[in-house]
Amino acid sequence: MKIRDILLSVTAAAALGTSASAMECETITLGAAISLTGKYATNGVHAQNGYEFAITKIAENGGVQIGDKCYNFDVIYYDDESKGDRGATLAERLIQQDGVQYMLGPYSSGLTKAIAPITEKYGIPMVEAEGASRSLFNQGYKYLFAVLSTSEQYLASAITLAAERATAEGRDPSEVTVAIAVENDPFSLDIRAGVMEDAARYGMNVIIDEKLPRDLSDMTAILTKVKLVKPDVLIVSGHSKGAATAVRQIGEQRINVPMVAITHCEAADVTGNFGDFAENFLCSTQWAETLTYEDPIFGTAANYETEFKAAYPEYATKKVPYQTAQASAAVYVYADAFTRAGSLDKDAVRDAIAATDLATFYGQIKFSDAGNNIAKPMVLRQIQGGEYNVVAPSNFASHDLVWPRP
Amino acid sequence: MTKNTLLYAVLVAATVAAPFLFPSYTAFLATLWLFIIVALTWDMTGGQMGYNSLGNIFFYGTGMYTGAVIAIGLYFPVGEWTDASRSEVFSVTASQYYTGMIIGIPGAGLFCGLCAFIIGPLFFGLRGPYFAIGTLGLAIAAGEIVSNIEWLGGGQGISMPHSPLHPDFEKVLIYFLYAGLGVVLFGFLRWFYSTRFGAAINAIRDDEEKAEAMGIHTLRYKTITWAISAVFVGMAGAISAFQLIHFEPLETAYQTINLGIFMVVCVLLGGKGTLWGPVIGAVLFHVFKEVTWNYILGGQWVALGLLIVIIVVFFQDGLMGYLKHVRPGWFGIKVDTKGATS
Repeated sequence: MKIRDILLSVTAAAALGTSASAMECETITLGAAISLTGKYATNGVHAQNGYEFAITKIAENGGVQIGDKCYNFDVIYYDDESKGDRGATLAERLIQQDGVQYMLGPYSSGLTKAIAPITEKYGIPMVEAEGASRSLFNQGYKYLFAVLSTSEQYLASAITLAAERATAEGRDPSEVTVAIAVENDPFSLDIRAGVMEDAARYGMNVIIDEKLPRDLSDMTAILTKVKLVKPDVLIVSGHSKGAATAVRQIGEQRINVPMVAITHCEAADVTGNFGDFAENFLCSTQWAETLTYEDPIFGTAANYETEFKAAYPEYATKKVPYQTAQASAAVYVYADAFTRAGSLDKDAVRDAIAATDLATFYGQIKFSDAGNNIAKPMVLRQIQGGEYNVVAPSNFASHDLVWPRP
Repeated sequence: MTKNTLLYAVLVAATVAAPFLFPSYTAFLATLWLFIIVALTWDMTGGQMGYNSLGNIFFYGTGMYTGAVIAIGLYFPVGEWTDASRSEVFSVTASQYYTGMIIGIPGAGLFCGLCAFIIGPLFFGLRGPYFAIGTLGLAIAAGEIVSNIEWLGGGQGISMPHSPLHPDFEKVLIYFLYAGLGVVLFGFLRWFYSTRFGAAINAIRDDEEKAEAMGIHTLRYKTITWAISAVFVGMAGAISAFQLIHFEPLETAYQTINLGIFMVVCVLLGGKGTLWGPVIGAVLFHVFKEVTWNYILGGQWVALGLLIVIIVVFFQDGLMGYLKHVRPGWFGIKVDTKGATS
């Protein structure tokens, strides 16, 4: 991998040295351990594509200006095989052997939790886009920054919606019953915690609270239970595989729950893969191409989607997942921070990242002291007629919620 | 004898010098020592005693968790520390960190030894494949149980206290913890296999019924051997916990299909039932793994599978067994090439 990269960059440099004026930029090397194989491979690739797309876009827009020089990004990737200990080893290698001074995040909260202690130890800034668990932001890390909203917010607004609907029907929100089935991993456990907190606030009764195995491909047992106890709301979370399994089996077993809320709909392409089965599911998303966000590099959110699909034709028939958009946003944060820092010094860059207050196609980005983005809301979309329509929060909602699911 | 002493002196010197000669490879070398430790301990039961355990990773995972619970629990409530939604940031002083390490690592070893004493008698009634599958089940079950204990962080895993040291120094410290444990283990085994006790476990491997008939209390010997290996694996696990800083139950601590199988492959590669076999096997395997994982990314598991097939089909006795066959002189075996004429 490393040797190939060196060879590639040497040949590229040789080729470029003789031609083109826009290519005179020097290179800033970022490092990333990302899941290219293993259970997170789908989303690992989504994230990698997001990184690469942003790097290309930034280069097309003249690169990163630091002083009177311009720079383009290049990333050294390793495959962490979706395993934490491997991720930690690779982070160590990127920093120690490859001399990487700035890191991009891996995919998933679990991997980020494994890698963050390493980058923190060496004082290497890491801007990550795919680790949302709150447990990342109570460790006192100073070099970890996340562009996305934390995971307890993912499905909490579904509970609020259910409460509103119950009130509209003349029922007390505390009569609403909730079933939760989440994968036993840092991300989904945090989703569960957020839902539990909100359900408790309304006095709702959580009648099923189950943890699913990793790499889940079967949840029929839990669905049978759901069919028996008939909750008003069913919450499922388990990355892309969890989303695919949930949509398929809820459809196959004809589970008629008034509201089903899941994560990772777009990343698993549930509308494309399961069609009608996905109808009326609620999907949490960090970002939607219909939102009115904008920046000078990527244009509007809608423009990002169009250009990304042009660059990566394999996404032509599906939604561009937010995992990709936020990965691009992470690279953009670096570009912005380098420019403001006016230096390649990693601590100057770290301080510039901490001071980020940036409007992007992905939403506003501003970090708390703990490193999470506190400026961007989560959005809840419902699949209606095969389309993803925003139904919450109310100031973004373009469509009404279909309740109960037919 | 002097030649051997010289060899050992050179190896120890190389061990001490390695992290200073190749500073950017220290983490790699530390992991190499981990492989050597788990391979040597696996061989105690698998090679020397004839009991092929697939569950030694249980002691590794349990060692990690015990080390973590001791290091954290000495100063903080573990349940609060592992609560993912806590808002408080705990800070750990240098003396707290080192006290946790000094008590946590041996504590983990002792706890794992104790576990082996308790579960040993349950498992040593099983022979052959039943023992292998039984111990594998133990490791898998333990991972699932731990992943549902919220006090231990459940599926979130545990984040260890952070080292107050400069990372370059800490890396060297972790290396020497592993290397020290590995050297002690090797020295111990060199002596252990030469004792009556060593002869007894070899007798169990060769014919357990006969060994019993000779008056060897086989269960006691088997359990003690497993417990000793558990102490070392548990300590290695605790060192890993300090090295990795964050770990979770299913893929890091009780990683049955990775380290749990790799330790067996190391021993098979080097040669079962020999003192040096596991060490050589671990070195070869670790280098092979790093090379394939870095240069033929995507094909690494295929390469590993191929390696296992080749060993099992062509080199069943491992490298040491192969060398013994082609170069018996190196092992002090005299072969009468002229045949039995004189």
